[in-house]
Amino acid sequence: MNSAVSLLKRLARTVLIVFLVVVGSTVLIRFAPGYLSDAREMDARYGDAARAELSAEAARSVSLRQMLSMEMSAWTNGSLGLSRQYDVPVLELVLPRLAVTGGLMLRAIVFAWSLALCASLLSSAGRNPSLLWQAPAALLLGVPTAAMATICLLAGSGGPVLVMTLLLAARDFKFLDRLLRMAWLDPHLLQARAQGLTTFRLVRAHILPSITPQLLALATLSIVTALSALVPVEVIFSVPGLGQLAWNAAMNRDLPVLLAVTMIMAIAVTFSGMASDRFGEWQRA
Amino acid sequence: MRGRLLASWLLLGLVLIAVAVVAAPGSSYSNQDREQPLAGASMHHLAGTDTLGRDRLVRVAAAFLLSLAGAIAAAAVTTAAAAGVGTLSAFSPATLGRLGMLVCDVFLALPWLFMLMMVRSALPLTTSPAHSAAITFLVLAALGWPACARAVYRGALDLRNSEWMLQARAGGLRGKQIARHVLPNLVPLLMPQFLICIPAFIIAEANLGALGLGIGEPLPSWGGMLLELDNSSMLLQTSWVYLPIALLILILLLLEAIAVEV
Repeated sequence: MNSAVSLLKRLARTVLIVFLVVVGSTVLIRFAPGYLSDAREMDARYGDAARAELSAEAARSVSLRQMLSMEMSAWTNGSLGLSRQYDVPVLELVLPRLAVTGGLMLRAIVFAWSLALCASLLSSAGRNPSLLWQAPAALLLGVPTAAMATICLLAGSGGPVLVMTLLLAARDFKFLDRLLRMAWLDPHLLQARAQGLTTFRLVRAHILPSITPQLLALATLSIVTALSALVPVEVIFSVPGLGQLAWNAAMNRDLPVLLAVTMIMAIAVTFSGMASDRFGEWQRA
Repeated sequence: MRGRLLASWLLLGLVLIAVAVVAAPGSSYSNQDREQPLAGASMHHLAGTDTLGRDRLVRVAAAFLLSLAGAIAAAAVTTAAAAGVGTLSAFSPATLGRLGMLVCDVFLALPWLFMLMMVRSALPLTTSPAHSAAITFLVLAALGWPACARAVYRGALDLRNSEWMLQARAGGLRGKQIARHVLPNLVPLLMPQFLICIPAFIIAEANLGALGLGIGEPLPSWGGMLLELDNSSMLLQTSWVYLPIALLILILLLLEAIAVEV
Protein backbone atom coordinates (compact mmCIF):
# COMPACT_ATOMS: atom_id res chain seq x y z
CA MET A 1 0.00 0.00 0.00
CA ASN A 2 2.80 2.38 0.98
CA SER A 3 4.65 1.44 -2.15
CA ALA A 4 1.60 2.23 -4.31
CA VAL A 5 1.13 5.62 -2.63
CA SER A 6 4.81 6.45 -3.09
CA LEU A 7 4.62 5.43 -6.75
CA LEU A 8 1.53 7.59 -7.26
CA LYS A 9 3.21 10.55 -5.58
CA ARG A 10 6.25 10.19 -7.78
CA LEU A 11 4.07 9.85 -10.87
CA ALA A 12 2.14 12.98 -9.91
CA ARG A 13 5.40 14.90 -9.43
CA THR A 14 6.65 13.71 -12.81
CA VAL A 15 3.42 14.74 -14.54
CA LEU A 16 3.59 18.13 -12.77
CA ILE A 17 7.17 18.63 -13.97
CA VAL A 18 6.18 17.79 -17.56
CA PHE A 19 3.23 20.20 -17.32
CA LEU A 20 5.48 22.97 -15.98
CA VAL A 21 7.98 22.28 -18.76
CA VAL A 22 5.20 22.72 -21.36
CA VAL A 23 4.02 25.96 -19.74
CA GLY A 24 7.57 27.29 -19.22
CA SER A 25 8.68 26.54 -22.78
CA THR A 26 5.55 28.12 -24.24
CA VAL A 27 6.05 31.27 -22.14
CA LEU A 28 9.72 31.41 -23.15
CA ILE A 29 8.85 31.10 -26.84
CA ARG A 30 6.04 33.62 -26.63
CA PHE A 31 8.22 36.29 -25.04
CA ALA A 32 11.29 35.61 -27.20
CA PRO A 33 11.99 38.83 -29.12
CA GLY A 34 11.69 37.20 -32.55
CA TYR A 35 8.53 35.19 -31.92
CA LEU A 36 6.38 37.21 -34.29
CA SER A 37 8.86 37.18 -37.17
CA ASP A 38 8.40 34.37 -39.65
CA ALA A 39 11.15 33.31 -42.07
CA ARG A 40 8.49 32.68 -44.75
CA GLU A 41 7.74 36.40 -44.87
CA MET A 42 11.19 36.88 -46.42
CA ASP A 43 10.61 34.16 -49.02
CA ALA A 44 10.15 35.80 -52.43
CA ARG A 45 7.93 32.93 -53.58
CA TYR A 46 5.16 34.05 -51.21
CA GLY A 47 2.78 36.63 -52.64
CA ASP A 48 1.46 39.69 -50.83
CA ALA A 49 -1.76 37.90 -49.86
CA ALA A 50 0.18 35.01 -48.36
CA ARG A 51 2.42 37.41 -46.43
CA ALA A 52 -0.63 39.23 -45.10
CA GLU A 53 -2.11 35.89 -44.05
CA LEU A 54 1.15 34.97 -42.28
CA SER A 55 1.16 38.30 -40.41
CA ALA A 56 -2.50 37.79 -39.47
CA GLU A 57 -1.71 34.26 -38.28
CA ALA A 58 1.12 35.60 -36.11
CA ALA A 59 -1.10 38.35 -34.73
CA ARG A 60 -3.80 35.79 -33.86
CA SER A 61 -1.35 33.81 -31.71
CA VAL A 62 -0.21 36.81 -29.66
CA SER A 63 -2.19 35.92 -26.52
CA LEU A 64 -0.31 33.65 -24.16
CA ARG A 65 -3.52 32.07 -22.89
CA GLN A 66 -4.60 31.26 -26.41
CA MET A 67 -1.17 29.86 -27.17
CA LEU A 68 -1.24 27.63 -24.10
CA SER A 69 -4.74 26.37 -24.83
CA MET A 70 -3.75 25.64 -28.45
CA GLU A 71 -0.68 23.80 -27.21
CA MET A 72 -2.71 21.76 -24.73
CA SER A 73 -5.43 20.91 -27.24
CA ALA A 74 -2.77 19.91 -29.79
CA TRP A 75 -1.30 17.51 -27.24
CA THR A 76 -4.65 16.16 -26.08
CA ASN A 77 -5.96 15.52 -29.59
CA GLY A 78 -2.69 13.77 -30.42
CA SER A 79 -1.54 15.91 -33.37
CA LEU A 80 1.16 17.76 -31.34
CA GLY A 81 0.40 20.92 -33.34
CA LEU A 82 0.81 21.94 -36.98
CA SER A 83 4.23 22.33 -38.57
CA ARG A 84 4.78 25.84 -39.99
CA GLN A 85 7.31 24.57 -42.50
CA TYR A 86 5.57 21.47 -43.87
CA ASP A 87 1.95 22.32 -42.99
CA VAL A 88 1.29 18.83 -41.62
CA PRO A 89 0.56 17.62 -38.07
CA VAL A 90 3.80 17.43 -36.08
CA LEU A 91 2.96 13.84 -35.06
CA GLU A 92 3.30 12.73 -38.69
CA LEU A 93 6.83 14.13 -38.72
CA VAL A 94 7.80 12.79 -35.32
CA LEU A 95 6.52 9.19 -35.45
CA PRO A 96 8.75 7.77 -38.21
CA ARG A 97 11.80 9.50 -36.71
CA LEU A 98 11.15 8.28 -33.20
CA ALA A 99 12.12 4.71 -34.10
CA VAL A 100 15.34 5.86 -35.83
CA THR A 101 16.42 7.98 -32.85
CA GLY A 102 15.35 5.33 -30.33
CA GLY A 103 17.36 2.65 -32.13
CA LEU A 104 20.44 4.85 -32.38
CA MET A 105 20.29 5.82 -28.72
CA LEU A 106 19.65 2.29 -27.53
CA ARG A 107 22.58 0.84 -29.46
CA ALA A 108 24.89 3.65 -28.36
CA ILE A 109 23.92 3.33 -24.69
CA VAL A 110 24.30 -0.48 -24.65
CA PHE A 111 27.72 -0.37 -26.38
CA ALA A 112 28.89 2.55 -24.22
CA TRP A 113 27.90 0.85 -20.98
CA SER A 114 29.60 -2.40 -21.97
CA LEU A 115 32.76 -0.54 -22.97
CA ALA A 116 32.79 1.71 -19.89
CA LEU A 117 32.08 -1.15 -17.50
CA CYS A 118 34.85 -3.36 -18.94
CA ALA A 119 37.34 -0.48 -18.97
CA SER A 120 36.50 0.67 -15.46
CA LEU A 121 36.71 -2.87 -14.06
CA LEU A 122 40.21 -3.22 -15.52
CA SER A 123 41.22 0.30 -14.54
CA SER A 124 39.92 0.13 -10.98
CA ALA A 125 41.82 -3.10 -10.34
CA GLY A 126 45.03 -1.04 -10.25
CA ARG A 127 46.13 0.77 -7.11
CA ASN A 128 46.20 4.29 -8.60
CA PRO A 129 44.27 5.84 -11.51
CA SER A 130 46.31 4.96 -14.60
CA LEU A 131 46.98 7.52 -17.32
CA LEU A 132 46.49 4.71 -19.85
CA TRP A 133 42.76 4.69 -19.06
CA GLN A 134 42.25 8.28 -17.92
CA ALA A 135 43.93 10.03 -20.86
CA PRO A 136 41.70 8.65 -23.66
CA ALA A 137 38.58 9.38 -21.57
CA ALA A 138 39.73 12.96 -20.89
CA LEU A 139 40.57 13.45 -24.57
CA LEU A 140 37.19 12.16 -25.71
CA LEU A 141 35.42 14.43 -23.24
CA GLY A 142 37.47 17.40 -24.47
CA VAL A 143 36.34 17.08 -28.08
CA PRO A 144 33.01 18.71 -28.95
CA THR A 145 30.56 16.16 -30.35
CA ALA A 146 30.20 18.05 -33.62
CA ALA A 147 33.97 18.03 -34.15
CA MET A 148 34.23 14.33 -33.30
CA ALA A 149 31.44 13.52 -35.75
CA THR A 150 33.05 15.63 -38.47
CA ILE A 151 36.45 13.99 -37.96
CA CYS A 152 34.87 10.51 -38.16
CA LEU A 153 33.03 11.52 -41.31
CA LEU A 154 36.21 12.89 -42.91
CA ALA A 155 38.22 9.83 -41.90
CA GLY A 156 35.52 7.67 -43.48
CA SER A 157 35.49 5.37 -40.48
CA GLY A 158 32.81 5.05 -37.87
CA GLY A 159 29.28 6.29 -37.91
CA PRO A 160 26.75 7.89 -35.58
CA VAL A 161 26.69 4.89 -33.25
CA LEU A 162 30.47 4.96 -32.81
CA VAL A 163 30.57 8.70 -32.04
CA MET A 164 27.76 8.48 -29.50
CA THR A 165 29.23 5.32 -28.00
CA LEU A 166 32.64 6.93 -27.50
CA LEU A 167 31.17 10.06 -25.98
CA LEU A 168 28.89 8.16 -23.60
CA ALA A 169 31.57 5.60 -22.73
CA ALA A 170 34.04 8.36 -21.78
CA ARG A 171 31.50 10.03 -19.50
CA ASP A 172 30.29 6.75 -17.98
CA PHE A 173 33.85 5.55 -17.47
CA LYS A 174 34.71 8.67 -15.46
CA PHE A 175 31.91 7.90 -12.96
CA LEU A 176 32.19 4.11 -12.99
CA ASP A 177 35.93 4.17 -12.37
CA ARG A 178 35.47 6.39 -9.31
CA LEU A 179 32.56 4.25 -8.05
CA LEU A 180 34.40 0.96 -8.47
CA ARG A 181 37.61 2.36 -6.99
CA MET A 182 35.67 3.27 -3.81
CA ALA A 183 33.80 -0.04 -3.80
CA TRP A 184 37.04 -2.07 -3.94
CA LEU A 185 38.19 -0.39 -0.73
CA ASP A 186 35.23 -1.64 1.33
CA PRO A 187 36.58 -3.65 4.32
CA HIS A 188 34.39 -6.69 3.61
CA LEU A 189 35.73 -6.84 0.07
CA LEU A 190 39.32 -6.62 1.25
CA GLN A 191 38.62 -9.54 3.56
CA ALA A 192 36.86 -11.50 0.81
CA ARG A 193 39.85 -10.95 -1.48
CA ALA A 194 42.20 -12.07 1.27
CA GLN A 195 40.12 -15.25 1.64
CA GLY A 196 40.65 -15.97 -2.04
CA LEU A 197 37.27 -15.22 -3.68
CA THR A 198 37.60 -14.88 -7.44
CA THR A 199 37.36 -11.42 -8.96
CA PHE A 200 34.36 -12.45 -11.06
CA ARG A 201 32.47 -13.59 -7.98
CA LEU A 202 33.41 -10.46 -6.06
CA VAL A 203 32.15 -8.25 -8.84
CA ARG A 204 28.95 -10.22 -9.46
CA ALA A 205 27.94 -10.92 -5.86
CA HIS A 206 29.30 -7.93 -3.94
CA ILE A 207 30.31 -4.94 -6.02
CA LEU A 208 27.52 -4.71 -8.59
CA PRO A 209 24.67 -5.05 -6.03
CA SER A 210 26.25 -2.42 -3.78
CA ILE A 211 26.59 0.19 -6.54
CA THR A 212 23.23 -0.47 -8.24
CA PRO A 213 21.56 2.79 -7.07
CA GLN A 214 24.45 4.85 -8.43
CA LEU A 215 24.38 2.83 -11.67
CA LEU A 216 20.70 3.64 -12.08
CA ALA A 217 21.37 7.34 -11.57
CA LEU A 218 24.12 7.04 -14.14
CA ALA A 219 21.69 5.41 -16.58
CA THR A 220 19.52 8.53 -16.47
CA LEU A 221 22.60 10.69 -16.98
CA SER A 222 23.50 8.56 -20.01
CA ILE A 223 20.11 9.28 -21.55
CA VAL A 224 20.54 13.03 -20.97
CA THR A 225 24.05 12.95 -22.46
CA ALA A 226 22.83 10.92 -25.45
CA LEU A 227 20.02 13.40 -26.06
CA SER A 228 22.48 16.29 -25.99
CA ALA A 229 24.74 14.56 -28.51
CA LEU A 230 21.84 13.59 -30.73
CA VAL A 231 21.51 16.83 -32.70
CA PRO A 232 25.12 17.27 -33.90
CA VAL A 233 25.49 13.55 -34.61
CA GLU A 234 22.26 13.23 -36.58
CA VAL A 235 22.84 16.46 -38.48
CA ILE A 236 26.43 15.66 -39.49
CA PHE A 237 25.74 12.03 -40.42
CA SER A 238 22.38 12.90 -42.04
CA VAL A 239 20.45 10.46 -39.85
CA PRO A 240 16.71 11.11 -40.31
CA GLY A 241 15.95 11.21 -36.59
CA LEU A 242 14.43 13.60 -34.07
CA GLY A 243 17.70 15.55 -33.65
CA GLN A 244 17.83 16.34 -37.35
CA LEU A 245 14.15 17.26 -37.31
CA ALA A 246 14.74 19.66 -34.39
CA TRP A 247 17.74 21.26 -36.11
CA ASN A 248 15.79 21.64 -39.34
CA ALA A 249 12.94 23.21 -37.36
CA ALA A 250 15.36 25.59 -35.59
CA MET A 251 16.92 26.71 -38.88
CA ASN A 252 13.48 27.33 -40.40
CA ARG A 253 11.92 28.80 -37.24
CA ASP A 254 9.32 26.02 -37.18
CA LEU A 255 8.57 26.52 -33.49
CA PRO A 256 5.65 24.05 -33.12
CA VAL A 257 7.95 21.21 -34.27
CA LEU A 258 10.80 22.38 -32.07
CA LEU A 259 8.51 22.72 -29.08
CA ALA A 260 7.05 19.24 -29.63
CA VAL A 261 10.49 17.61 -29.94
CA THR A 262 11.72 19.43 -26.82
CA MET A 263 8.65 18.22 -24.94
CA ILE A 264 9.22 14.62 -26.05
CA MET A 265 12.83 14.85 -24.86
CA ALA A 266 11.74 16.37 -21.54
CA ILE A 267 9.20 13.57 -21.05
CA ALA A 268 11.87 10.95 -21.83
CA VAL A 269 14.31 12.49 -19.32
CA THR A 270 11.69 12.92 -16.56
CA PHE A 271 10.23 9.45 -16.86
CA SER A 272 13.62 7.76 -17.09
CA GLY A 273 14.64 9.64 -13.93
CA MET A 274 11.46 8.49 -12.21
CA ALA A 275 11.94 4.89 -13.35
CA SER A 276 15.55 4.77 -12.13
CA ASP A 277 14.58 6.30 -8.75
CA ARG A 278 11.74 3.83 -8.38
CA PHE A 279 13.90 0.88 -9.34
CA GLY A 280 16.56 2.03 -6.88
CA GLU A 281 14.00 2.21 -4.06
CA TRP A 282 12.70 -1.24 -4.95
CA GLN A 283 16.26 -2.60 -5.01
CA ARG A 284 17.02 -1.10 -1.57
CA ALA A 285 13.76 -2.51 -0.15
CA MET B 1 48.40 20.19 -7.37
CA ARG B 2 51.46 20.46 -9.60
CA GLY B 3 49.38 19.48 -12.65
CA ARG B 4 46.85 22.17 -11.89
CA LEU B 5 49.54 24.80 -11.52
CA LEU B 6 51.16 23.77 -14.78
CA ALA B 7 47.79 23.84 -16.57
CA SER B 8 47.03 27.28 -15.13
CA TRP B 9 50.37 28.70 -16.29
CA LEU B 10 49.96 27.17 -19.75
CA LEU B 11 46.47 28.63 -20.05
CA LEU B 12 47.69 32.03 -18.90
CA GLY B 13 50.48 31.84 -21.48
CA LEU B 14 47.96 31.06 -24.22
CA VAL B 15 45.75 33.97 -23.12
CA LEU B 16 48.73 36.38 -23.24
CA ILE B 17 49.74 35.15 -26.69
CA ALA B 18 46.14 35.50 -27.91
CA VAL B 19 45.93 39.05 -26.51
CA ALA B 20 49.21 39.92 -28.21
CA VAL B 21 47.99 38.52 -31.55
CA VAL B 22 44.63 40.31 -31.39
CA ALA B 23 46.08 43.60 -30.15
CA ALA B 24 48.96 43.67 -32.67
CA PRO B 25 48.77 46.77 -34.89
CA GLY B 26 46.91 46.16 -38.13
CA SER B 27 45.40 42.84 -37.09
CA SER B 28 41.65 42.48 -37.27
CA TYR B 29 39.51 39.37 -37.25
CA SER B 30 37.30 40.76 -40.03
CA ASN B 31 39.97 42.23 -42.35
CA GLN B 32 39.90 40.49 -45.71
CA ASP B 33 42.93 39.95 -47.92
CA ARG B 34 41.05 39.39 -51.17
CA GLU B 35 44.24 38.49 -53.02
CA GLN B 36 44.92 35.52 -50.76
CA PRO B 37 41.89 33.39 -49.94
CA LEU B 38 42.83 30.03 -48.42
CA ALA B 39 46.53 30.90 -48.40
CA GLY B 40 49.13 28.84 -46.57
CA ALA B 41 51.41 30.14 -43.81
CA SER B 42 53.41 33.23 -44.71
CA MET B 43 55.05 36.21 -43.01
CA HIS B 44 51.81 38.19 -43.32
CA HIS B 45 49.51 35.38 -42.23
CA LEU B 46 51.30 33.04 -39.85
CA ALA B 47 48.57 30.39 -39.96
CA GLY B 48 47.25 31.21 -43.42
CA THR B 49 43.85 32.62 -44.33
CA ASP B 50 40.29 31.29 -44.55
CA THR B 51 38.06 31.16 -47.64
CA LEU B 52 37.34 34.88 -47.34
CA GLY B 53 41.02 35.81 -46.96
CA ARG B 54 40.80 36.57 -43.23
CA ASP B 55 43.85 35.87 -41.07
CA ARG B 56 43.27 32.51 -39.40
CA LEU B 57 45.60 33.10 -36.44
CA VAL B 58 43.89 36.36 -35.50
CA ARG B 59 40.48 34.75 -35.80
CA VAL B 60 41.50 31.76 -33.68
CA ALA B 61 43.01 34.06 -31.02
CA ALA B 62 39.90 36.26 -31.00
CA ALA B 63 37.58 33.22 -30.83
CA PHE B 64 39.62 31.86 -27.92
CA LEU B 65 39.41 35.12 -25.97
CA LEU B 66 35.74 35.63 -26.79
CA SER B 67 34.68 32.11 -25.82
CA LEU B 68 36.83 32.09 -22.68
CA ALA B 69 35.54 35.47 -21.51
CA GLY B 70 31.94 34.52 -22.35
CA ALA B 71 32.23 31.13 -20.65
CA ILE B 72 33.80 32.65 -17.51
CA ALA B 73 31.09 35.30 -17.30
CA ALA B 74 28.34 32.70 -17.88
CA ALA B 75 29.90 30.36 -15.30
CA ALA B 76 30.05 33.21 -12.76
CA VAL B 77 26.35 34.01 -13.36
CA THR B 78 25.42 30.33 -13.13
CA THR B 79 27.39 29.80 -9.92
CA ALA B 80 25.95 32.94 -8.32
CA ALA B 81 22.41 31.91 -9.29
CA ALA B 82 22.99 28.38 -8.00
CA ALA B 83 24.45 29.70 -4.74
CA GLY B 84 21.44 32.00 -4.29
CA VAL B 85 18.75 29.45 -5.10
CA GLY B 86 20.45 26.55 -3.28
CA THR B 87 21.17 28.52 -0.09
CA LEU B 88 17.77 30.22 0.02
CA SER B 89 15.98 26.91 -0.56
CA ALA B 90 17.98 25.23 2.21
CA PHE B 91 17.42 28.00 4.75
CA SER B 92 13.74 28.64 3.86
CA PRO B 93 10.80 26.73 5.33
CA ALA B 94 10.63 23.17 3.99
CA THR B 95 7.75 23.90 1.56
CA LEU B 96 9.64 26.76 -0.09
CA GLY B 97 12.76 24.62 -0.25
CA ARG B 98 10.86 21.84 -2.01
CA LEU B 99 9.39 24.39 -4.41
CA GLY B 100 12.88 25.65 -5.21
CA MET B 101 14.04 22.13 -5.98
CA LEU B 102 10.92 21.51 -8.11
CA VAL B 103 11.96 24.50 -10.24
CA CYS B 104 15.41 22.92 -10.53
CA ASP B 105 13.82 19.63 -11.64
CA VAL B 106 11.81 21.44 -14.29
CA PHE B 107 15.00 22.97 -15.72
CA LEU B 108 16.87 19.67 -15.44
CA ALA B 109 14.13 17.92 -17.40
CA LEU B 110 14.87 20.11 -20.41
CA PRO B 111 17.73 18.86 -22.59
CA TRP B 112 19.91 21.99 -22.80
CA LEU B 113 20.78 21.76 -26.49
CA PHE B 114 17.14 21.61 -27.55
CA MET B 115 16.33 24.50 -25.26
CA LEU B 116 19.23 26.53 -26.63
CA MET B 117 18.12 25.80 -30.17
CA MET B 118 14.58 26.82 -29.31
CA VAL B 119 15.68 30.14 -27.81
CA ARG B 120 18.18 30.89 -30.59
CA SER B 121 15.65 30.15 -33.31
CA ALA B 122 13.12 32.46 -31.68
CA LEU B 123 15.47 35.47 -31.90
CA PRO B 124 14.79 38.23 -34.43
CA LEU B 125 16.14 37.56 -37.91
CA THR B 126 18.23 40.74 -37.69
CA THR B 127 20.13 39.95 -34.45
CA SER B 128 23.62 41.48 -34.54
CA PRO B 129 26.71 39.23 -34.04
CA ALA B 130 27.55 40.88 -30.70
CA HIS B 131 23.99 40.36 -29.47
CA SER B 132 23.99 36.75 -30.67
CA ALA B 133 27.21 36.14 -28.70
CA ALA B 134 25.80 37.78 -25.56
CA ILE B 135 22.50 35.90 -25.89
CA THR B 136 24.25 32.54 -26.46
CA PHE B 137 26.26 32.84 -23.25
CA LEU B 138 23.34 34.33 -21.33
CA VAL B 139 21.14 31.38 -22.30
CA LEU B 140 23.93 28.98 -21.32
CA ALA B 141 24.11 30.69 -17.91
CA ALA B 142 20.33 30.59 -17.56
CA LEU B 143 20.20 26.86 -18.28
CA GLY B 144 23.31 25.78 -16.38
CA TRP B 145 22.43 26.65 -12.80
CA PRO B 146 19.92 23.93 -11.70
CA ALA B 147 22.35 21.02 -11.40
CA CYS B 148 24.76 23.24 -9.47
CA ALA B 149 21.89 24.57 -7.30
CA ARG B 150 20.98 21.01 -6.31
CA ALA B 151 24.54 20.37 -5.11
CA VAL B 152 24.59 23.70 -3.23
CA TYR B 153 21.20 22.87 -1.67
CA ARG B 154 22.55 19.58 -0.28
CA GLY B 155 25.67 21.34 1.06
CA ALA B 156 23.67 24.19 2.57
CA LEU B 157 21.25 21.71 4.20
CA ASP B 158 24.20 19.96 5.84
CA LEU B 159 25.44 23.34 7.06
CA ARG B 160 21.99 24.27 8.34
CA ASN B 161 21.85 21.10 10.39
CA SER B 162 25.43 21.38 11.67
CA GLU B 163 26.01 21.92 15.37
CA TRP B 164 27.77 25.28 15.05
CA MET B 165 24.86 26.58 13.01
CA LEU B 166 22.34 25.39 15.62
CA GLN B 167 24.37 27.16 18.27
CA ALA B 168 24.58 30.32 16.16
CA ARG B 169 20.82 30.35 15.66
CA ALA B 170 20.18 29.58 19.31
CA GLY B 171 22.55 32.44 20.15
CA GLY B 172 20.29 34.81 18.25
CA LEU B 173 22.32 35.48 15.09
CA ARG B 174 20.23 37.15 12.39
CA GLY B 175 19.85 36.04 8.77
CA LYS B 176 22.50 38.45 7.44
CA GLN B 177 25.01 37.39 10.09
CA ILE B 178 24.34 33.71 9.39
CA ALA B 179 24.75 34.30 5.63
CA ARG B 180 28.16 35.86 6.32
CA HIS B 181 29.25 32.56 7.86
CA VAL B 182 27.45 30.24 5.45
CA LEU B 183 28.79 31.60 2.16
CA PRO B 184 32.51 31.12 2.94
CA ASN B 185 31.69 27.54 3.93
CA LEU B 186 30.06 26.96 0.54
CA VAL B 187 33.09 28.17 -1.43
CA PRO B 188 34.73 24.68 -1.56
CA LEU B 189 31.49 23.47 -3.18
CA LEU B 190 30.99 26.44 -5.50
CA MET B 191 34.54 26.68 -6.82
CA PRO B 192 34.59 23.24 -8.57
CA GLN B 193 31.10 23.94 -9.97
CA PHE B 194 32.37 27.24 -11.41
CA LEU B 195 35.45 25.61 -12.92
CA ILE B 196 33.47 22.68 -14.36
CA CYS B 197 31.01 25.07 -16.01
CA ILE B 198 33.70 26.90 -18.03
CA PRO B 199 34.76 24.00 -20.34
CA ALA B 200 31.15 22.77 -20.49
CA PHE B 201 30.00 26.17 -21.78
CA ILE B 202 32.86 26.39 -24.29
CA ILE B 203 31.90 22.95 -25.66
CA ALA B 204 28.22 23.97 -25.76
CA GLU B 205 29.03 27.14 -27.70
CA ALA B 206 31.22 25.17 -30.13
CA ASN B 207 28.50 22.57 -30.70
CA LEU B 208 25.87 25.23 -31.22
CA GLY B 209 28.13 27.16 -33.58
CA ALA B 210 28.91 24.03 -35.57
CA LEU B 211 25.16 23.65 -36.12
CA GLY B 212 24.95 27.23 -37.42
CA LEU B 213 23.05 28.45 -34.35
CA GLY B 214 25.87 30.06 -32.40
CA ILE B 215 27.66 33.39 -32.60
CA GLY B 216 26.96 35.20 -35.88
CA GLU B 217 29.61 36.15 -38.46
CA PRO B 218 31.87 38.10 -38.74
CA LEU B 219 32.59 37.53 -35.03
CA PRO B 220 34.91 34.54 -34.79
CA SER B 221 33.80 31.54 -32.77
CA TRP B 222 35.00 27.96 -32.27
CA GLY B 223 31.77 26.60 -33.73
CA GLY B 224 32.00 28.82 -36.80
CA MET B 225 35.57 27.69 -37.43
CA LEU B 226 34.68 24.03 -36.93
CA LEU B 227 32.25 24.45 -39.81
CA GLU B 228 35.30 24.81 -42.08
CA LEU B 229 36.02 21.13 -41.46
CA ASP B 230 32.87 20.26 -43.41
CA ASN B 231 34.51 21.52 -46.58
CA SER B 232 36.59 18.54 -47.72
CA SER B 233 38.11 20.37 -50.72
CA MET B 234 39.51 22.97 -48.33
CA LEU B 235 41.08 20.27 -46.18
CA LEU B 236 43.12 19.08 -49.14
CA GLN B 237 44.46 22.59 -49.80
CA THR B 238 45.70 23.54 -46.34
CA SER B 239 46.24 21.71 -43.09
CA TRP B 240 45.92 24.96 -41.09
CA VAL B 241 42.16 24.30 -41.08
CA TYR B 242 42.87 21.89 -38.23
CA LEU B 243 44.39 24.64 -36.04
CA PRO B 244 41.10 25.68 -34.36
CA ILE B 245 40.10 22.12 -33.39
CA ALA B 246 43.62 21.31 -32.12
CA LEU B 247 43.75 24.47 -30.03
CA LEU B 248 40.20 23.98 -28.77
CA ILE B 249 41.02 20.46 -27.55
CA LEU B 250 44.19 21.71 -25.86
CA ILE B 251 42.32 24.50 -24.07
CA LEU B 252 39.53 22.16 -22.97
CA LEU B 253 42.06 19.67 -21.62
CA LEU B 254 43.83 22.43 -19.68
CA LEU B 255 40.53 23.66 -18.24
CA GLU B 256 39.52 20.09 -17.34
CA ALA B 257 42.89 19.60 -15.62
CA ILE B 258 42.36 22.76 -13.56
CA ALA B 259 38.79 21.75 -12.64
CA VAL B 260 39.60 18.15 -11.76
CA GLU B 261 42.42 19.02 -9.41
CA VAL B 262 40.38 21.47 -7.29
